[in-house]
Amino acid sequence: MNTPDRNSLSNHSASGNDLGAAEATLRLIASLPAPKGLEDRIQAGVLAAPRRARILAWHAAHAPASGWMRAAAAASIVFVVAGGGWGVYSLVQQPPTARVIVLPPHGAAQGGFSSAGAMRTPQTLNGPVVAHPATPQSTDSKVPGKVPAPTAPKPLRPRPPAPGNKATAQPAAPNTK
Amino acid sequence: MEIPDSTVDDKARQYAEEETLAALVSQYAGTLYRVAFSVLRNPSDAEDAVQEAFVRVLRHRDTLGEVRDQRVWLIRIVWNIVLDRKRRAKTRPETDDVSELARVLPSGGMSAEQIAVAAQHHAHVLACVDKLPAKEREVLMLSAFQELNSVEIASVLRISESSVRSRLFRARNLIAGLLDHTRSLR
Repeated sequence: MNTPDRNSLSNHSASGNDLGAAEATLRLIASLPAPKGLEDRIQAGVLAAPRRARILAWHAAHAPASGWMRAAAAASIVFVVAGGGWGVYSLVQQPPTARVIVLPPHGAAQGGFSSAGAMRTPQTLNGPVVAHPATPQSTDSKVPGKVPAPTAPKPLRPRPPAPGNKATAQPAAPNTK
Repeated sequence: MEIPDSTVDDKARQYAEEETLAALVSQYAGTLYRVAFSVLRNPSDAEDAVQEAFVRVLRHRDTLGEVRDQRVWLIRIVWNIVLDRKRRAKTRPETDDVSELARVLPSGGMSAEQIAVAAQHHAHVLACVDKLPAKEREVLMLSAFQELNSVEIASVLRISESSVRSRLFRARNLIAGLLDHTRSLR
């Protein structure tokens, strides 16, 4: 069965004696003759081997190719699947819808600053308006860029007594009479 | 008594299968044995591997008509079997290659001493081949078979032909370096 010079890979130039010796050894191993009677032993061993798996062997009357068995198998599969689905559907009941008032989302929760817990108090009354007297401004302050000089505090003088106020009047002069 | 048609068909099919199998065995058993022996280097293990390959063929006989090249297909089957067995056998102690080779190699009129020296040399070369990386080693071993060209080696290993050539180039360089290194150590 050998076809000499069929292997083109063997025509590469050998780089040395070592490589030639290695290839010669491999060729010698590869060309060893088969032992006598090999074919007969192989054939007998193969024919004695079990042909097919016994577990999957079908009887001819119950072969999968027969139509009634295939239809029965399909019907049983459909029955099992449908029955199981109906059982699950009948067991699982719909819970009553919960009455939940959905609050609108808080404005601050959408990314702005929070109120830090502060509560807004509505303004119910208008408070009294305090009219401040207009303070006269010095002429220096009207000049732009000029800072008015600080004014020295005025010395305190005794205030004149009120005309009808005896308690605050000066002590009476001693009676000279 | 009436014989059913299915029984006749089964017997005829079985007879045809046996005929086809017998033809395959007689045609390719020798080639498959040599492929198996080149890896396992044991006659009984190689014979078992060939038998297992044909048992697999018998199991997949329905797809036998779709096979284009039965020879390459069979070599690929036995190649996978022997590689698997070789991997599993790594846990076992290695056999004595020298004495086994001396028993198997053709004497060719050599004396016993010459046969022993030759067997020792071949065992040393095969030991260096075993040190090669798996990819390079497989290509180098298959390239030793005259029946297989580079396209068929690529088909057996399921790689491209350019990969076969590049791996073979690397394998030759590596094996030459290994042999040169061991010779310098002696």
